[in-house]
Amino acid sequence: MSPSDEGIQNVDRLIHEPSRLTIMMHLYVVESADFQFLQYQTGMTPGNLSSHLRKLEDAGYVEVTKEFVDRTPHTALRLTRKGRDAFKEYRRNVKRFIDKLPE
Amino acid sequence: MTKQNTLRDVEKKAYMSYHQDGLIDIMVGLYAAAFGLGIFADKVLDFNFAVIMPGIMIAIVLPIWIAAKRKITMPRIGYVNFGARGSNKLFAIFLGLMVAGLGVFFLFTLATAQNGRPVWIDTIFQYGMIVIGLGAALIASLFAYTMGLKRLHGYGLLTLALFTSGHFLALPFEYLLLIVGSVIIACGAALLTQFLRRYPLQKGDMDNVAQ
Repeated sequence: MSPSDEGIQNVDRLIHEPSRLTIMMHLYVVESADFQFLQYQTGMTPGNLSSHLRKLEDAGYVEVTKEFVDRTPHTALRLTRKGRDAFKEYRRNVKRFIDKLPE
Repeated sequence: MTKQNTLRDVEKKAYMSYHQDGLIDIMVGLYAAAFGLGIFADKVLDFNFAVIMPGIMIAIVLPIWIAAKRKITMPRIGYVNFGARGSNKLFAIFLGLMVAGLGVFFLFTLATAQNGRPVWIDTIFQYGMIVIGLGAALIASLFAYTMGLKRLHGYGLLTLALFTSGHFLALPFEYLLLIVGSVIIACGAALLTQFLRRYPLQKGDMDNVAQ
């Protein structure tokens, strides 16, 4: 394994999957959002989004909380501290790896 | 997966989708038109409506805007909390409306005052319409930049063009405000119609799909 290959080994594979990366990106730029907003923004199907969200939730990257907005129950999705840190680390690792690639 | 390159693009898209409903345009248009009506009522009813109109409009328009966001926008594209940055932008809207209303009121009051005033103020009021048009264009540009809504530049330029024409054609201030307000309301209504078509109400509670 070359030194440049070692860099990519550090990349979080859970985040690296394109759909989950999209979800992480969208949640990273907001405080919280509900399922419907995330679905419109990502363009994913409900089933697909739900399945990826569950994986991110299981990893402790996404927090799902029930709250009331105008007396209407709604599910808020937000990145946890661990999720934000993991996303920052992912960006750093990918950038480091890409920067090492020859022109 | 959508074709987005940077986090800034993602953030901008999320923010823009929340403000493409035309509601802010309708509210700003209503504010301008109501202010014009207030000045018109001043002349007809001999009561100083222009003094209280900015306050009344903020007290009425702001809650309506918030309620409309909750009843029209959120059920269609979902709920999002942009955090401190979003709140700051909302605060900028509120503050901007306050400043714009009070500024116009201040200029109008000074322009109609009967007592003597410095020459430079007379010069400003000689070109009052153009000054107000420039002020509106400046405020609109500030909002356009802060909120990332380019159409606000257009509203500012429209106001400047109309008020400059009004100066040379000696058109009444209130009529110009009514025209500007009506045009902005019409643009807002068109955007709202487009938004309602693009984002129809979803049947069932999609909120629980994640559970």
